[in-house]
Amino acid sequence: MMIPILKASNLSKVFGSGHTEVKAVDNVSLSIKAGELVLVMGPSGSGKTTLLSMLGSLLKPSQGNIEIEGINVTELKESDLPNIRALKIGFIFQTFNLLDALTVEENILFPSQLRPEGRVGVKNRANRLIEKLGLAHRRNAFPSTLSGGEKQRVAIARALINEPKLILADEPTGNLDSQTGQEVMMILHDIARDEGYAVIMVTHDPRVEDIADRILWLEDGQLHDRKSEKHSWVKDPVCGMHVDEWTANLVSQYKGKKYYFCSKRCHERFENNQESYVV
Amino acid sequence: MLKWAWKSLFSQKGSLIGSAAGIACAFILVIFFDAVWRGETEQIIAYPNNVKPDVWVMQSGVGNMHMAMSFVWDWKADKIASMPEVKNVTPILYLNNVIRAGDTEMFAFIVGLLPDAKRAGPWAMSAGRQIQNPREAIIPDVLSHITGVKIGDTLSITDKEFNVVGLSKGTFSSANSVLFVPFSDLEDILSSSGTYSYLLVDAHDNVEPKVLASKIMEEVEKINALPHDDFIANDFALARQMGVEVIVMMTVICSVLAALIVGFSAYSLVMRKRREIAIIKALGASNISIFYSVMIQTGIVTLLGFLLAVLFALLVVPGIPSLVPQLTILVSNEALMQLGIIALLVTILGAILPTYLVLRMDPATAFHV
Repeated sequence: MMIPILKASNLSKVFGSGHTEVKAVDNVSLSIKAGELVLVMGPSGSGKTTLLSMLGSLLKPSQGNIEIEGINVTELKESDLPNIRALKIGFIFQTFNLLDALTVEENILFPSQLRPEGRVGVKNRANRLIEKLGLAHRRNAFPSTLSGGEKQRVAIARALINEPKLILADEPTGNLDSQTGQEVMMILHDIARDEGYAVIMVTHDPRVEDIADRILWLEDGQLHDRKSEKHSWVKDPVCGMHVDEWTANLVSQYKGKKYYFCSKRCHERFENNQESYVV
Repeated sequence: MLKWAWKSLFSQKGSLIGSAAGIACAFILVIFFDAVWRGETEQIIAYPNNVKPDVWVMQSGVGNMHMAMSFVWDWKADKIASMPEVKNVTPILYLNNVIRAGDTEMFAFIVGLLPDAKRAGPWAMSAGRQIQNPREAIIPDVLSHITGVKIGDTLSITDKEFNVVGLSKGTFSSANSVLFVPFSDLEDILSSSGTYSYLLVDAHDNVEPKVLASKIMEEVEKINALPHDDFIANDFALARQMGVEVIVMMTVICSVLAALIVGFSAYSLVMRKRREIAIIKALGASNISIFYSVMIQTGIVTLLGFLLAVLFALLVVPGIPSLVPQLTILVSNEALMQLGIIALLVTILGAILPTYLVLRMDPATAFHV
């Protein structure tokens, strides 16, 4: 049986006390295995970011346990948590959170400097990530000169540089236009499916529901499994993601039928091998 | 982390230069006050340091020249002159008093010279001639420049008028300049007769000044004889003591000012970078590594300020006396090394508050920035 990468049991977080007490997260349990992409959705103020902060060892829970790769991080000392964050978790933020003074390559390499064992082989890995995420031509650019999509791809590469098993993404498409957002979603989808990372994503974007393995609904601090809801949108034939046919920019016609795509990536894949995507 | 610390500091060149310039200003003040104090201290002992006999002889109980009064009977000078180890003895009369030159009154060392006592007179002249007649005086050239009293003009010492016949070099000090007058005139002012103030004793070539000083002490009663180095050391120590409290106070004030500037710079740097610091913490940087980064950034700002101040001290400060001749300035390596230590302390003091803020910064805010 596969050991979960992340296992949270009876997790609660209370802010304030007495009349001002707020239970942001209430007795939440979840577990995620390698290769799984789990969405955490819910209304604003439901506790999604608080939950993500606790899962990322950025916030101490008031109650409950979190195990990452079998290590109970809630029992660790405060001074041990930076190491857990550096080695076991990759963070992707809504606002990209790149370091302004560093180039694309330096930003990607930054977490590797936090590894106690040094940076052997990291440069090659950074090169591979830069190539894979289409950033080769922007290697020496500064964040202020990048587009939103490029910034988020840099942030993804940075999250992967130390090869953590767990990726936590907070609204990774929140600051991106729909097409760029879908491209970023597909990258995260591939990371989970092809490379075996466990990805937890907080999002409001309903279009990614179909590519998720599970959707968790957080409301009033409590977590529920949620059934997929049907949308009246057309499906991207490559990734299966819902695409609004009225607003989609990437369209192909094949054997008299129109196909809509969430991203350039899916569009290119389809164009390269149309037969395999058309049933 | 080091790369981030370095690059993020230099990415905001305007604030970096502003901070470094502010710190440099505070350090320049420290260097300037110290240089003026050292220059003045050196200048206070300029006379004994330049006439430089092997042994100084003075009244018993007196050990220096600055602000001192000494009387030695003339027969004692004759007795010393007759000693086989002694090459010659040059007596001088000496008085600390206020002089009036033009509209300016100032404190001065007045040296009374016998007609043949050139050895005890001014060591460099910029204009005019030596004293030849009664009621003639040689004054410092800078004093002439400040007061407008030129060769041919008069100045007064107590109730006596003197005619300026020469201008000497290197004899001005804002605390006490050195004036030369005829021995007999100073004797008249002091109402003394048959006494000298100091004896400048030169030994034969193979005689040790220390040995000669001891022998003079043994053979002549109620006098003090000191080798030149000991005499100068006494005078220098006294001159230093006179201004040291003021200089220490100024150094402390300027250092505190520098620490405040460093602290403010580091504080504003941390506040500007708090978003990035939260991100770095979230990504897994430890408090200690962030603390080192802030210390390095603070250290670089202080180092830049220090280097700017040293550059200024070496290139600009020595030129100030040509613009302000009454200032004597001496920039010493010792002072620059002291400033280096002050800069180190300033770095540590200036980084305390920013470090505290960094340690308290919540990494979870990375999700909200």
